[in-house]
Amino acid sequence: MNIEIAANTIPSAVSESDSTAASMRRLMLAFLITGFSALLIGATIGPFQALNYGGVDVYPALRPLLQSYYQGLTIHGVMNGYVFTFFVTCGLLVYLPARELGVAPNLTMWRTCFAVMAIGALCVLYAMADNSSSVLWTFYPPLKGSPFFYIGITLLALGSTMPLPILLKMRATWRRHRPGEITPLVTYMSLITMLMWGLAGVGVMAELVLQLDPWSLGLIGTVDPIVNRTLFWLTGHPIVYFWLMPAYVSWYGLLSRQVGGKLISDPMARITFALLMIFALPVGTHHQFSDPGFSSIWRGILVVLTMSVATPSLVTAFTIGLSLEYAGRLRGGQGWFGWFRALPWGDPSVAAQVLAAVTFILGGATGIVNGSWQLNAIVHNTTFIPGHFHVTVGSVTAMTFMAISFWMVPHLTGRQLISRRLALFSVWTWFVGMTIFAVGMSWAGLYGVPRRAWVSALPHDTYHALYGAASVPLALVAAGGVLLWVASYTFFAVFFGTLLFGRRAAPPPVPFAQSFGGPASFTIDSPPNPAQSASPLIRALDHVWLLTGITTLAAIAAYIPILWPFLHHVTRAPGWILW
Amino acid sequence: MDNKTGMSPFDAAFHASAERHERFWIFGVLVMLVLLTIGTMFYVVHDYGLVTGTQSYATDPQAPAREAAFQDGKVVRTGPNSYAVYMVGRAWHWAPDVIHVPEGAEITFYVTSADVLHGFEIQGTPVNMTAVPGVVGTVKYTFRHAGLFRIICNEYCGMFHHAMVARIIVDPAGTP
Repeated sequence: MNIEIAANTIPSAVSESDSTAASMRRLMLAFLITGFSALLIGATIGPFQALNYGGVDVYPALRPLLQSYYQGLTIHGVMNGYVFTFFVTCGLLVYLPARELGVAPNLTMWRTCFAVMAIGALCVLYAMADNSSSVLWTFYPPLKGSPFFYIGITLLALGSTMPLPILLKMRATWRRHRPGEITPLVTYMSLITMLMWGLAGVGVMAELVLQLDPWSLGLIGTVDPIVNRTLFWLTGHPIVYFWLMPAYVSWYGLLSRQVGGKLISDPMARITFALLMIFALPVGTHHQFSDPGFSSIWRGILVVLTMSVATPSLVTAFTIGLSLEYAGRLRGGQGWFGWFRALPWGDPSVAAQVLAAVTFILGGATGIVNGSWQLNAIVHNTTFIPGHFHVTVGSVTAMTFMAISFWMVPHLTGRQLISRRLALFSVWTWFVGMTIFAVGMSWAGLYGVPRRAWVSALPHDTYHALYGAASVPLALVAAGGVLLWVASYTFFAVFFGTLLFGRRAAPPPVPFAQSFGGPASFTIDSPPNPAQSASPLIRALDHVWLLTGITTLAAIAAYIPILWPFLHHVTRAPGWILW
Repeated sequence: MDNKTGMSPFDAAFHASAERHERFWIFGVLVMLVLLTIGTMFYVVHDYGLVTGTQSYATDPQAPAREAAFQDGKVVRTGPNSYAVYMVGRAWHWAPDVIHVPEGAEITFYVTSADVLHGFEIQGTPVNMTAVPGVVGTVKYTFRHAGLFRIICNEYCGMFHHAMVARIIVDPAGTP
């Protein structure tokens, strides 16, 4: 690692033409293509699962490739939830800040990040492809997969935290040139996201390195199921924000420019990210309301914390909504809803992000249901849960990343989108398909239809006796799944078509938004602005280590009482391979 | 558009109005969340019996399943109108797989697993608990209506997870 060398040389602003900029573009493109290739695999399998709930069992026909619904489901969850999101995020959250600050990232470190995650992804793919690890994306022990699976996930998780030191280094360089100024917004949001993720990763890294890796290699014989489940959710809830926050980076940092307006409030964006970081860490155990083992007092505290975590997202709804309204009114929109119609709907990148935000109304509302303890008892582990997270990660994250690719592929390659109409068709179909799917899943969950169950393999009359009452919502699930197939393949035609056949054109710039009262550029070549006005709160929020300390303390305070009884009653469970 | 820091009159007016509405929105959000929290808490306290509890832990993951009560798998009468049910999840069945309980009686379910995690969901009720090897969890529930209920495993446990279904038959009150 050449951090030492980089620290001693004076970095210069990155210009479009120099070789560093070209390397950055190539590397960003590699992250983007790898991420979307993972989504191609995951999204191909997804609709089979939707058909499963509709009572259509396609798995016997897929036998040489997929042995079971559960193998397919494992690949779907891992590819979409981990590989796709990690690659796109680890590219974006380095590339966008580098562009915003005008500072080159440490390319060696960024390449290492890519390489570590790529090796991890290949290990996991191998372990899932041979059906040795059909343990689903949550891999709860004592179900026991192959060492390739656990070591692959370990590498993926490790690699996904590597943008953190790169960001810290870029920010330090920028600050040396512009002392006393507040960190620019996109860099700030990216840094908070990575700090949050670095802290959150401790849980799953402990689970993997101390328990599952040595266990799968035969070095230890047994593991404790409930301790590992708790460690998993220590990371497994914050991962939700690791999916969401990069989308928010685009909504706050880019979307207002793309619609032709301004970001209404830069401070609210910072407050939102700080709150997301602080509240994301202590609340993971709300995924375990149905588990025995920890006290009811803590369950109550978790409800309060979980409700609190809704605040930053509801603030986001306001700030983004108002920023869109501003742009809509500038474009001549009148009345209560005229501004919404006046948005540039012809731009697929705008359409995708606005539609993603609309689906998040359903995603956020169902999330509040999940966090509400007693309501959680009704929906826990039913199809309501995947219904919920397909209108968060499956729409907000996936559609925003698709939206980003619509301007970023032309930006990186100098090739025009092959078809704006097809791109628009893909995001509208995704929006409609995902909404129908999620409504169906959530509704079916209220009839007690369990998630992750190969219900279509049941004898026909058993399926009807158990889930016949939910036939309408389950039909919606299947219909939504089929639409999503159309949507994803149209998208991939546009994505890969543009990469291969797009017409050469001048690459568009990164559409960084300007906030009310904010400067147009932060590059270290532009004149410093020591007179910059910022409230004391915003200056305090710029002390990211203070926020990190508060978050760490909150997480420790939350987890000691929960882990305490588990660690005093250790169960030594041997592994089971049951698929 | 004006790229300097100065705002146009439209921007300034929009910004001022935005700040007013922002305060109102945040106030509204906080009130809503407080009410939701109080609401869900009230429901929990009001109906506290449904909360997942813990009966015991064991180092040996199979130890609880070997206890006599779990081996017998009988519905045990524990009071004038209360019963205990001991239920073990194994890949891929529940033991016992058919039980009879009376309508209107308070049933305490003791649930464990003899292998991997299972999910103890009684369809059509809020009873929903993770069956963990080495841990006995408890949940209380009173069936208000006679009829057939199904216990569905809702935590992935392998190849025939979807077929792990048992039955609870709630007999009308007054039948022997």
